[in-house]
Amino acid sequence: MSIDRVIAAQPLDAQVASASVPLCELRGVSHSFAQPHGAPLLVLEDVSLQVHPNEVVCLLGPSGCGKSTVLRILAGLVRPTRGEVLYRGRPLQGLNPGVAIVFQSFALYPWMTVAQNVEVVLKAAGLGREEISARASQAIRKVGLEGFERAYPRELSGGMKQRVGMARAFSLNPELLFMDEPFSQVDALTAESLRAEVLDIWAAKDKQASSILMVSHDIKEVVYMADRIVVLGAHPGVVRTVVENRLPRPRDYRSPELLQMVDRLHDIITGHELPDTVEPAASVSTPVTPVEPLPDASGGELVGLLEYLDARGGREELFRIAADTDQEFGKVINVVKAAEMLDFVDTPKRQVVLSPCGVRFLKGDATERKRLWREQLLQLGLFRKVWTALEQQPRKELSRELVLDLIVLSMPSEDYERIFDTLARWARFGELFTYDENRGVLQESE
Amino acid sequence: MSRSSSNTFGESNAALESSRAPGWVDLLIVAGLVGALYGLTRTVQEWTGALRPTVDIDLSPTALPRYAFFSLCRGLIAYVFSLGFTLAYGYWAAKDARAERVLLPLLDILQSIPVLGFMPGLVLALVAAFPRSNVGLELAAVVMIFTGQAWNMTFSYYHSLRSVPQEQREAATVYRFNGWQRLRWVELPFATIGLVWNSMMSMAGGWFFLMINEAFVLGDRDFRLPGLGSYMSVAVARGDSAAMAWAVLAMTAMIVLLDQLLWRPVVVWAQKFRTEEGGEVAQMGSWFLTLLRRSTLVAALKQAGRRRAQDSAPARPSVMLRAGRRLSPRLPRQVSHVLLVVLVLALLVGAGRLMLILRDVPLAHWGDTLGKALLTLGRVLLATCLGTVWAVPAGLAIGLSPRLSRLLQPVIQVVASFPAPMLFPMVIAALTVLGVGLGWGSMWLMLLGTQWYILFNVVAGATAIPADLREMAASYRLGVWRRFWSLYLPAVFPYLVTGWVTAAGGAWNASIVSEYVTFRGHVLTAPGLGSQISEAAASANFPLLSASVVVMSVMVVTFNRLVWRRLHRLAETRFSLSK
Repeated sequence: MSIDRVIAAQPLDAQVASASVPLCELRGVSHSFAQPHGAPLLVLEDVSLQVHPNEVVCLLGPSGCGKSTVLRILAGLVRPTRGEVLYRGRPLQGLNPGVAIVFQSFALYPWMTVAQNVEVVLKAAGLGREEISARASQAIRKVGLEGFERAYPRELSGGMKQRVGMARAFSLNPELLFMDEPFSQVDALTAESLRAEVLDIWAAKDKQASSILMVSHDIKEVVYMADRIVVLGAHPGVVRTVVENRLPRPRDYRSPELLQMVDRLHDIITGHELPDTVEPAASVSTPVTPVEPLPDASGGELVGLLEYLDARGGREELFRIAADTDQEFGKVINVVKAAEMLDFVDTPKRQVVLSPCGVRFLKGDATERKRLWREQLLQLGLFRKVWTALEQQPRKELSRELVLDLIVLSMPSEDYERIFDTLARWARFGELFTYDENRGVLQESE
Repeated sequence: MSRSSSNTFGESNAALESSRAPGWVDLLIVAGLVGALYGLTRTVQEWTGALRPTVDIDLSPTALPRYAFFSLCRGLIAYVFSLGFTLAYGYWAAKDARAERVLLPLLDILQSIPVLGFMPGLVLALVAAFPRSNVGLELAAVVMIFTGQAWNMTFSYYHSLRSVPQEQREAATVYRFNGWQRLRWVELPFATIGLVWNSMMSMAGGWFFLMINEAFVLGDRDFRLPGLGSYMSVAVARGDSAAMAWAVLAMTAMIVLLDQLLWRPVVVWAQKFRTEEGGEVAQMGSWFLTLLRRSTLVAALKQAGRRRAQDSAPARPSVMLRAGRRLSPRLPRQVSHVLLVVLVLALLVGAGRLMLILRDVPLAHWGDTLGKALLTLGRVLLATCLGTVWAVPAGLAIGLSPRLSRLLQPVIQVVASFPAPMLFPMVIAALTVLGVGLGWGSMWLMLLGTQWYILFNVVAGATAIPADLREMAASYRLGVWRRFWSLYLPAVFPYLVTGWVTAAGGAWNASIVSEYVTFRGHVLTAPGLGSQISEAAASANFPLLSASVVVMSVMVVTFNRLVWRRLHRLAETRFSLSK
């Protein structure tokens, strides 16, 4: 299911069920920066997203996609050129009252000690003296900086500095914890433990509704942290898709599920896939046959996979397949995904199992295989649409442009030319229809 | 008490020592305070005494400490004015974009006006305001010193306020610091280091015209205040070499003392406001600060102060987060607006008055003035070139060698703070021996005062050259000459431009004393704008004085815009080492 639709549908639901009013929300937000010379630079275009109570949302995208600007708009630091910013369903006036930010460069004041850096925000919040010192020392303890209260930031490592930044944010018990690439200037191992600690502290919170919004370009980090991953595209920044991440917590960086998710996100970002194909959540609410993007895999590779599985007794673990075939993991995933779309395999957990249909395919001769392949292709929305359209043409021909339009309309954020190529390859493999490159038309196979 | 304790542990030592009984340090401090108090009462007596426009200066060396103390007081009071002006003016310009458009160019113009341009107005107005006591005249001297101090501090503070790192600013906003908290916790600390360095430079700049500020002629009236500057003036006028030497010695002592007792401790203290990372910054020490930190008395006073502050600070109601604040706290709009209107009106009135005075200047004089201005411009540029020729290699040598810079920096700082005009008699004597007239000689006098700006900036630039670039040059075995042209010069170029701007500005201002010099009782002049200003002031020819100052100001500002600013832009776009 297309994510744009999910987003578009939610505000209405949210208004009905007031219990699930998003903590904060962007609606159709565009933003451009004035440039000294020339036209203003559009950095965000029509971005809509929500942060609900008790969830971790991550903004993931390449540099230049305006992730940090989204965060600053939600925090009320930047007013967008166009669109609405809501806080608890009401238009945001000035600063977002529930937000504390952990900054990429830590933004500590080098002339203040660790304790002063924390206390100063409590002072600014107008708390009494006793409460300030109690809350500050509690927050410092929480992030494991006890004993460093009187140290200056320049005496601390990057990881410890960011702990101060976290303590400063946590000390206010914020409703919304915003983190702007918080671990990008911290060494990798420290970053791992910091992520876990943030989640621990966050999970240990009382009943108070509290959510985290994190900006990152690190896919692994995002999959580890997030409940929902908002993938942004660049130039200008747009929401490409939103991926639900239901992996159970606590998560393990090395678990195959996590790695699989990482791979999918990688494909999405590099423009190879729309999510939702193996999305368990999507199946709940999709009565109409969806038009799915086609994974980048050839018929030959698919047959290869099936034959490999057959040789292994019909089932094998996903990672073994990758290891045995010496293929890139992403590639294997694509082939498995293609096989699953065509119902030749099932994928319970990490296992890949030959389906009855797959077994039949393997047993059949060339003609039988082609027949089966055609049959399975026509189960897919895209092929059915193209096929129906082709059949309706008097000359049984369909121009490439027409098919491209069809793909663009149903999958706006995909690489339509790549999908067209896959479509043509798969169709030729089953002799459903063929693509005449010279004339640029799809035609029925003889 | 262990004397070997290094400065690094000064603070922890202070904590240790504070439990002990008061020691000799405290005695010294008390003695110092008593001495200062006595000096201050004498100064107050001097100020409030009956008006004596011309004081007889006693040229005996024993009178010097008293004179030096008076001058020191003037300099310090002027510095306090400068600091106050800087904090207010810089904040205003940084926070109100509309005011900024008036305030910055105004500051540019103020900076270009030589002290003699301010002198007549100030003196006449202040003496008229206090007809009976010395206060008016003293204040006039103080404000003249102020005009040599304030402007570069203000520029530095303004630039600091504008360049607080984005995330630190955003943190202040997100965590809802109000305007005052933002200033105290973020902006002032961030600006401190720049302000401290500029304060040191300003203090030196203030001494530069000390001889004029304390002893000047306005038409038929001769003004002289008791002080080191007037002592030197009188000594020069009488050709008393021994007295001149004593004055130079006293000035040196005063500068070294100020450096050791005031600036060094402040610089060391200001290190805590460093923003850059890494511990490679040379550990700076100040014996005086260490002493202060060991003092029981100071510790007790500090504690008492802290207790007072805690008692008086009311605990505000505990509201967690308040919504609906404005995006960024600013100077209250209306106040700023009204102030700006008042300022613009005052400027307009001033400009109108100036026009009335300038009407009396014949056209021929304008042409003459312009010709002299070009002559002075030539000297200024030549002096800057000469300064560059020696200061760039020297600055590179010092900046690239940690050992040399550790050794020489403090010495150069003191030497550079010494007011060059006090050395003019010696230089002129040397020039006469060599047979060089004041026409060329005045260029050397300018150089004497302004070369330091170039040197300082090149040193700063050389220390900032990234290590990897230097290692690259070394590993590819670039020769010294190639290294100079392909790495060192481009790398220090932005700093060099800053040095040029300051040096040229200083040379313009210095022209009033270097083209018009008293030597062995005679007045020597070289044709130029500076000497014309000095002569006009001495003969109280206000129309000519105004015209000359206007021409100088226009020249300086135009030259800044047309040449220096372009070089600056070039330096920033082509040769900046930070991205």
